Amino acid sequence: MNSRHDSAASAPGRTLSRAVLRQGGARCAALCAVSTAATAAGLLLPALLGHTLDLLLAGAPVARWVGGCAGVVLLLALLDGCASVLGGVCDAQATAWLRGRLTGHVLALGPRAEARFGAGDLVARLIGNAAQAGTAPGALAALLAALAGPVGGVVALGLIDPWLAAVLLAGAPVLALLLRAFARDTSACVADYQRVQGRIAGALAEAVGGFRTIRAAGAEDRETARILAPLPELSRAGHRMWRVQGRAAARAVTVAPLLNLGVLAVAGLLLARHRLSVGEVLAASRYAVLATGVGVLVGQLAVLGRARAATGRLAEVLAEPAPGHGTGGLPPGNGRLELRAVGALRGGRTVLDAVDLTVPGGTTLAVVGRSGAGKSLLAQIAGRLADPDAGEVLLDGVRLRDLAHGELRDAVAYAFERPALPGTTIEDTIAFGRTAATPDAVRAAARRAHADDFVRRLPDGYATRTADAPRSGGESQRLGLARAFAHGGRLLILDDALSSLDTVTEHRITETLLAADAGRTRLLIAHRATTAARADRVAWLDAGRVRAVGTHRELWREAEYRAVFAGDAAADAGVGDEAGTEARS
Amino acid sequence: MHVRGRAGRFLRARWRVLVRLGAWSVLEAGQTFVVGYALARALDTGFLAGNARTGLLWLGAAGLAVCAAAYGTGRVYGVVAALVEPVRDRLVRAVVARGVREADAGALSGLTQQVEIARDTLAGVVMVTRSFLFTAVGALIGLCSLAPLLLAVVVPPLLAGVALFAATLRALARRQEAFLAADEALAQELGAVVPALRDVTASGAEERVADTVGERIEAELRTARALARLGTARVAALAVGGELPAVLLLVTAPWLLRHGVTPGALVGALAYVTQSLLPALNNLVHGLGTSGSRLTVVLRRLTVRRPEGPETATPLPSASEVPSGARTTEREPGRRPQPSPALSLAGVTFAYGPAGEPVLDDFDLTLPEGGHLAVVGPSGIGKSTLTGLVAGLLTPVRGSVRSYGRPVRPPEAAAPRATVLIPQEAYVHTGTLAENLALLRDRPVPEGELLAAADAVGLTPLLEKLGGPGATVAPAELSAGERQLIALTRAYLCTAPLALLDEATCHLDPQAEARAERAFAARPGGTLIVVAHRISSARRAARILVMDGARTTCGTHAELLRASALYRDLAGAWTARPAPVPR
Repeated sequence: MNSRHDSAASAPGRTLSRAVLRQGGARCAALCAVSTAATAAGLLLPALLGHTLDLLLAGAPVARWVGGCAGVVLLLALLDGCASVLGGVCDAQATAWLRGRLTGHVLALGPRAEARFGAGDLVARLIGNAAQAGTAPGALAALLAALAGPVGGVVALGLIDPWLAAVLLAGAPVLALLLRAFARDTSACVADYQRVQGRIAGALAEAVGGFRTIRAAGAEDRETARILAPLPELSRAGHRMWRVQGRAAARAVTVAPLLNLGVLAVAGLLLARHRLSVGEVLAASRYAVLATGVGVLVGQLAVLGRARAATGRLAEVLAEPAPGHGTGGLPPGNGRLELRAVGALRGGRTVLDAVDLTVPGGTTLAVVGRSGAGKSLLAQIAGRLADPDAGEVLLDGVRLRDLAHGELRDAVAYAFERPALPGTTIEDTIAFGRTAATPDAVRAAARRAHADDFVRRLPDGYATRTADAPRSGGESQRLGLARAFAHGGRLLILDDALSSLDTVTEHRITETLLAADAGRTRLLIAHRATTAARADRVAWLDAGRVRAVGTHRELWREAEYRAVFAGDAAADAGVGDEAGTEARS
Repeated sequence: MHVRGRAGRFLRARWRVLVRLGAWSVLEAGQTFVVGYALARALDTGFLAGNARTGLLWLGAAGLAVCAAAYGTGRVYGVVAALVEPVRDRLVRAVVARGVREADAGALSGLTQQVEIARDTLAGVVMVTRSFLFTAVGALIGLCSLAPLLLAVVVPPLLAGVALFAATLRALARRQEAFLAADEALAQELGAVVPALRDVTASGAEERVADTVGERIEAELRTARALARLGTARVAALAVGGELPAVLLLVTAPWLLRHGVTPGALVGALAYVTQSLLPALNNLVHGLGTSGSRLTVVLRRLTVRRPEGPETATPLPSASEVPSGARTTEREPGRRPQPSPALSLAGVTFAYGPAGEPVLDDFDLTLPEGGHLAVVGPSGIGKSTLTGLVAGLLTPVRGSVRSYGRPVRPPEAAAPRATVLIPQEAYVHTGTLAENLALLRDRPVPEGELLAAADAVGLTPLLEKLGGPGATVAPAELSAGERQLIALTRAYLCTAPLALLDEATCHLDPQAEARAERAFAARPGGTLIVVAHRISSARRAARILVMDGARTTCGTHAELLRASALYRDLAGAWTARPAPVPR
C-alpha cells in the first residue's frame, strides 16, 4: 500500500520501535557497552603504540608498555568477538520477535489483513521488512561506537597537533562529494540492465504459461533461443555497469589514502621541527584512518533509516484492530441463522443496507443477485469472516460476536469459489481445521464432494503433496467442499463453491448437499438457476437490500428475477468442463 | 565437487582474463608497497634527517602511487566483469532452458533474484580474494625491502590467522547455508499461509498455523544464532593475523633496532601491518565468509536439476513398443494392406504415479486418416490426459500409442511430428504476429500462405485490427478468444497432419468455433480430435468418445443418446436453457 512512512503511521511506529528495544533491552545495553568499549580500546591503541615506539627508539625500558599494548590488543579482540556475537543475536532475536508478533496479529485479522494490505505485500512485510526492522536495536546500540570512532580520531589528531585535525577536516568535504557522485552514476545503467532482464523474464513467463504447446511441438530449443535473444544486450549493459562502478570506486578509493598522506606530510613537517615524535607520527597516521571511517557511520545511519521505515510498515499492520471473540457457547440447535438490520460499508460505499433475513434451522437458503449485489459479503458476515458495520447476526439465538472462537468455528463451515488449500498432503488439506478430521471422515467427505475419484488417481493418492497435485478449478472446489464436509457444524456456507464444476458433477453434488437434513442449515450463494431451484427458499439480493424472499418458482414469475440469471445463461449452456486450469504452484 | 570442477574448466579457458586481472592488480597493489616504503624513506632520509623537502617528495611519490592504484582499481572492475558476466550469461541460459523445458515457474525468481545474487557474490569473492592476495604480497615485498628481518616477525602470525580462518570456512559455509535454507522455508510457509488467510479463519485453524509458522521462525532464529556465534572465529582470525604482528613488532623492536632496522623502517612496518594487512584481512574474512557461502548455495541451486515432476509417469521399459496383437483389428490376414490409421491406442494404461489409480485402463482407440473425433465427459475424467498421451507429452505405463503406424515420439526428439496439440491456454508470446504464427515451422511462412490460413481459421479481422503480420502483439492486451485464434492459426500452419484441439476454442463464440473446426477438418489429409466444449462442437464430429471411466463408449450422436446415460445428461445440460426445475 503506502510505502511512505507518513506521520499517521509514525506514532504506532515509534511505539513498536520502543517495544522492539524493550524485548532485547539487556542484550542491546550489553552490545552498546561492548562496542563502545571496543571503540575506546581502538582509540587508545595508536597512542599506546606511538608512545611505546618512542620509548623503544630512546632505548628506555618498555616491557610494561609493550605488555600494555598486547593487553589492549587482546581486550580489543575479546570485545570485538563479543560485539559480533551480540550484534548477530540481537538482530536475529528482534526479527524473530517481530515476526512472531506480526504473524499472530495477521492470523487474528484473518481475511481483513489480506483485504487491507494484499497477500504479496503482507509476505514482503513479514519477511523483508521484519528482517530490516530487526536490525534497529543492534544498529542503535552500535551507533555510539560508530560515532565515537571518527569523532575520536579527529579529536586525537587535534590533541597531537591542531594542524593535523585541520588538514583532515579540510579534505573531508571532498570525500563527501566524491561519494555522492558514486551513487548518482550507477543508477542509470542499473536501470538499463534491469530493463533487459525484465524483457527476458517476461518472455520466460509467457513460455512457462504455454509449456504444453511448446512441449507438444518439441519447440523447446527454438523457444529458449528466442527468449535468450536479448542476452548479448544484457551482457553489454552488465559490462557497462561494472565499468561505471569501477570509475566511481577508483575515485572513492583515492580519497582516504590521500587524506592520510596529507596528514602524514604535516606530521612529518612537525617532526622535522621537533614538535612531534616518531611515535606520534605513527599514531597520527592511524588516527587519520580512524577519522576517515565516516563511511561506517553513514552506513549505520542508513541501516537505521531503513529499519525505521520498515518498523513503520510493520506498525501499520499491527495498528489494524483485530476482531475480538466472546466466551459464550451455543445452545442445542440446528443452525437457525438470523440477520437483523445488517449494514456493511466497503471503501465508503454501502454494500449491504438493513438486511433482515432469517434462515430456519435445518433448511437451505440460496442467495442470488447480480454481481456487486453484496452476496459474497453477506456470506462472509453470516459466518463472521467479516463483521457488519450495523446490525447483528445470530446463530440459534446467540450473537456471533459473543461466541468463543472455538465454538464459532466448530459450528460454521465454509466452502468457497476459489478455495485456498493450506496443508501438506491432500489428506492434510481436507482435514485442515481447528482440530484435524480423522482419515475416515476425510475419505467420507471426499466421496460426498465427488473428489475421491480424482484424488485416488493422483501419484500418491491421499498422500500426494497438495502443492504438487495438478488441479483444475473444479477439482480445487471439490477439495474445498470436502474440507467443509469433513468438519461439519450446524451452519454450512457455500460461497459460489460449485461454480467451476461441470453441470453433471454439480447436479450430483447438490443432490446430496441439499437433501433434507434437519440437523444443519445451509446458506449458499448461487449463480445458476438450477441451483437456486433446488433450495428451500431463495433470497434475492439487489443493490445491498433484500428485494424478496420466496421459493425459486414464486420469484421466477418476475422478469427482473429471471434477468439475474440471464448473464449466466450462456456460460451455463456452455459448461461441459471445468473452466480454467490452475498452473501447478 | 561438481561446481568446483566446472569452475576450474571455466577459469582455464579464460587464462588471458586472469593475466589481465593480475596485471591491473599489481598496479593496484603497488600503492600498498609504495606507501609503506615511502613513509619509511620520508622519515629516515627526510623528516628525521632534518630534510623536510626529501620527506615531502617521498610522500608525493606515495600520492602518485595512490592515484595510479586508483586507475588500476577502475580497470580491475572491467576485468572482473569479463569473469562475472560470462558466468551470469551461462546461468541465465541454464535457467531459461530449464524454465522452458520444465514449465517451472520457480525459474522466474531464479532468473531475477538468484542469478543476480550469484553475480554479485561472485564478483565480491573475486574482488576480495584478489585484493587480499595482492595487498599481502605488496606489503610483504615492502617489508622485505625495508628489512628482510621484519618478515620473520610478521609472516608467521599472518599465516596462522589465514589458516585459522580457512579452518572455520567450511563450518561457516554450512551454517550460512542452514540459515539461508531456514529463511527460505519460512518465506515459503508464509507465502502459502498469507494468501489462504480467509480459509484459515473459516476453518478456525489459526492456532495450528501460528504453531507451524512459529516453528519456522524458531528454526530460522536458531540458525541465525549459530551463525552469529561463529563470528568469534572471524574475530579470532583477525586478531591473530592482523593485530598480533603489530604487538610482535613492538616486542621484538629492541632486537630489530640492534640488527640494523631503522626507526623509519619500523614505522613503515607498523604502517604495513596496521593499514594494509589488517584491512585486507578484515575484508577477506568478512567478504569471503558471507559471499562465498551464499555463492555456493545459489550456484548449487541454479545448476542442480530438479527431480522429475508429476507430469511424467514412470514408464515400464519398452512397454510402449510391445504390440498388443490381440487388440489390433486393423490388419487382418488376407485383406489388402490398409494405410496405417492416423491414430491407434492399444491397451493403453496410464496413471500419474505408482500409487495413483489409473486414469486410463486398458484403453483402445483407432482413428482413420481424415477422421474427426469429439471427446466429451465430466471434468477430471482424463480427457486432457488422453490428448497428452496422443501428443507424446505423457508416456503410458502399458500399451502403445501409434500415429500413422509409428510410435508417438517422446517430446525430446527433434524430428517432424505427426501431431499438433492446441491446449486450452493459448500460447502467444511478445513479438510480431508472423513470428507467433510461424512458431511451429522451421522457416518463416510465406505471407500468402499465412493470410490464407488466417482467412480459413477466422483470424483475418484480428490480423487487420493489429496491423498485418508484421505487427507486434502483446499477449496481455489480447482477449482470451483472440489468443486462441492466434494459437489455432499457428497450428493450422503446422505441417503435422493430426490436430488435437483440447478445449482450444472455449473462449470463442459458437460461430467462430464452428469456422475454426471446419477449417481443421478440411485440411488436406487432416485428422482432427476435438475435446468438445459445446454439444454443437461434438455433433460436428463423425464419432464421439464419451469418457466415463469403466463405462467409456464411442459412437455417433444418435447411438450414444441411446446407449450412454452420461451422454444424455451432458447433451441435456448443454442444450437446456436454464429454467426452474420442477420440484
